[in-house]
Amino acid sequence: MNIIKRLQGKFGKEILEVKEPVKGKIYLTIPKTAIVKFADYIFNELKGRFVISVGTDTRSISNDYTITYIFSLDREKTFVSLQAHVKNDDLTIDSITPIIPGANWAEREVYDMVGVYPKGHPDPRRLILADDWPDGVYPLRKDFPYDKKPESAPEMKVPLKKTSEKATVISFGPFFPVLEEPAHFKLFIEGEQVVGCDYRGSYNHRGIEKLGDSKLTYNQIPFIAERICGICGFVHSTCYCEAVEEAAEIEVPLRAKYIRTIMLELERLHSHPLWLGIAGHIIGFETVLMQTWRMREPIMWLCEAISGNRKTYGMNIVGGVRRDIPKDLHPKIMDVLNTLEKEWKTLLKAIQGDTTLMMRLKNVGRLSNEDARKICVTGPSARGSGVVIDSRFDHPYSAYAEIGFKEVVSYLEGDTLARTLVRLEETLISIDIVKRALQEMPEGPIIAEITEEIPPGKEAVRVVEAPRGEAIHYVMTGLDNRPFRWKVRAPTYANLQAVPVMIQGASLADVPITIGSIDPCFSCTERMIIVDKKTGKEKMLTQNELLEYSIKRKLK
Amino acid sequence: MNYAIGIGILNIGLALLLSPFLEGIIRKLRAFIHSRKGPPFRQPYYDLLKLLGKEDLEVSPNFLIRWAPVVCLATILTAGLLVPMGTIKPPLAAAGDVIVFIYFITLTAVVIMMSAAASESPYAQIGVSREMMMLLTVEPVIAIALITGAINAHSLRMSDIVLWYLAHGPTVSMVIAGVSIFLAIQAQLAKLPFDISEAEQEIMGGLFIEASGPKYALFKWGFLAKQVIFASLFCQVFIPWPTTFILWLDILINLVKVLIVVIFVCLIDVVNPRLRIDQAIRYFLVMVFVALMGLVFALVQA
Repeated sequence: MNIIKRLQGKFGKEILEVKEPVKGKIYLTIPKTAIVKFADYIFNELKGRFVISVGTDTRSISNDYTITYIFSLDREKTFVSLQAHVKNDDLTIDSITPIIPGANWAEREVYDMVGVYPKGHPDPRRLILADDWPDGVYPLRKDFPYDKKPESAPEMKVPLKKTSEKATVISFGPFFPVLEEPAHFKLFIEGEQVVGCDYRGSYNHRGIEKLGDSKLTYNQIPFIAERICGICGFVHSTCYCEAVEEAAEIEVPLRAKYIRTIMLELERLHSHPLWLGIAGHIIGFETVLMQTWRMREPIMWLCEAISGNRKTYGMNIVGGVRRDIPKDLHPKIMDVLNTLEKEWKTLLKAIQGDTTLMMRLKNVGRLSNEDARKICVTGPSARGSGVVIDSRFDHPYSAYAEIGFKEVVSYLEGDTLARTLVRLEETLISIDIVKRALQEMPEGPIIAEITEEIPPGKEAVRVVEAPRGEAIHYVMTGLDNRPFRWKVRAPTYANLQAVPVMIQGASLADVPITIGSIDPCFSCTERMIIVDKKTGKEKMLTQNELLEYSIKRKLK
Repeated sequence: MNYAIGIGILNIGLALLLSPFLEGIIRKLRAFIHSRKGPPFRQPYYDLLKLLGKEDLEVSPNFLIRWAPVVCLATILTAGLLVPMGTIKPPLAAAGDVIVFIYFITLTAVVIMMSAAASESPYAQIGVSREMMMLLTVEPVIAIALITGAINAHSLRMSDIVLWYLAHGPTVSMVIAGVSIFLAIQAQLAKLPFDISEAEQEIMGGLFIEASGPKYALFKWGFLAKQVIFASLFCQVFIPWPTTFILWLDILINLVKVLIVVIFVCLIDVVNPRLRIDQAIRYFLVMVFVALMGLVFALVQA
């Protein structure tokens, strides 16, 4: 209430409507001209953190487009959503990116998807849509069918920055040995030093949100939500289900909440060793890769024993979970966790004592506390830079409130080492959480019976702390047993925007590990290029030129 | 003369035919440390055969691309003939000494760099610049260590250094030279933490990014042979004991010593991440200084 009062005191009549359907979720309707003022106040005065903006085609409801800016006030355990309506005759809204750099991608995405242009945006290039996508076609508008394939634009638009005359370009991606997924970092380098970079992603955009609000039903979405990510899939399905449950006011049985918590932590327990292994691989330390992945394997087997699958458990459904964790599995889980805990402690000691490893991690890819806040990074990347946020503590979901999660690990250094240590220590805490949850888990049903139809027009914002940071799902309920709008923001979406800051001035050799240190997950997020400034040679070939070129070369 | 040819065949044989087997042992060892099973010992032979049997592609019509792998292997094998492998006198002793040996190993690196530069890949260019920096700091360490021996023995011949060392036993200068050459081997063989100019994860193989098929096989074979040659150089010149002067026994002893050295090199390789080029150069600049200390000791003793 305090926050609403402060906002009302500050802005008075400019707030058109206030809603607080659930404690800690505040929705303010504001005029679109006031967005910058509001964002500025919440970001700088209330110390709120920008999370995402959601563009919704609400022409069928209020004959306009609604842009929802979601902020998290972590200390107050509150989400504040600013909703501005944009009329059809002027599809623009003032950009908040000059105040909050972390809103950069979100605003570009809104333009790509629903066509509301961010006025005053410093870098309004295309972000999500393919290079040959025609102009003026916005896929998330309701009149755009989910299965429509628009004709290719006559000209390919490669939305990459012009490079300085002196830079050499080194491409890091779209396919690169240490990138597990396609992402294109274009690095501008002088000798070995990176002087700038550019990013192009979204090679894997699958239009999942579009499917969610036009084709699938409430209970089908958890299964596709789980397929958003190959590592933290359960995070997305849990986050989606809890958002729908919140919107529809469905009470989930406590046992189901505990089971979700256990599965979420098991996911962190296999994600962090996976990351550490890859980090080792990136700096050429294969022994770390092999050993951590060996330690990780029993966790995968455990997940298989519980759900039938190593990954993508298919357990979540709106109202609860579909599979119980039977009593006779408890000793086995405890056994695996105890072994992992012992091995992990040895590993932690070995890593901290390894001087060569320290040389490669310390002071590498520094992200200052100030930048971390501005770019609104999340998860271990934020906690490594002294931004103490962890949605398990700030916005408890599932059974974290019942378990009493308090152990937020954070470091001030902001370098790759800090991010590594955060993850290493978190793993031990996760082991502890699973153990506690297993002991405290109450008996009872695992799924709530839903008798009534989910009412339309309800909104909910939910967060789940994925191993890489917080995943946010925004759901607005609709008719026909499916959401009107379902928005997913994966943690890498926020963290990836910090990479240019982290690698500025770094040695080329440190770029892979720096990118690796945010634990990027591109399938979640949905490209970077390297350029040498001295020779000034940079040439982008068109697809046809490239084809001709390769044929010519082959004939020689 | 016949003796020299015989020993020459022995050296080349060891360097070419035995080296893949040695690599097989290393792979098994590495797999063991990784908690893996690892490929069979003969796998490196299969790898070479497979590469040799592949289509011979060229990224550019540049003659450097075509001939560099051949010249690279040839220079490595010639360097191999200048190193004793179980004998006191290297087979090509009549033709050259320590200086010629240093020439040939430098030539190998230069040839590889030229072919990489000719490939025009930006990753290869970075590989070349890194290799150049490494060469300029690692090569002096090897040169100073060998010259320390030469000053002690008052001769630039490899065999004279060995004989002097056998007669005088370990001295401070020779121990320092031995240690510094051992540490330089790691970089010469492009093993971690010094495989910086190849760095798969950073520049996708750097120097060798455009090498494939038979050409890559020759580069790879060259590097395998280099393992035997450098390990032999270290074992025979800087720890020449025990030398029995019975040919077959000395050859056997050398093999055992080479195996041990290569295992050490492998162990360092598995327990280290890759250093950054500036860190590696700082490390080797210290090594140059250490090697120079050895040289000063040799001068004072002499």
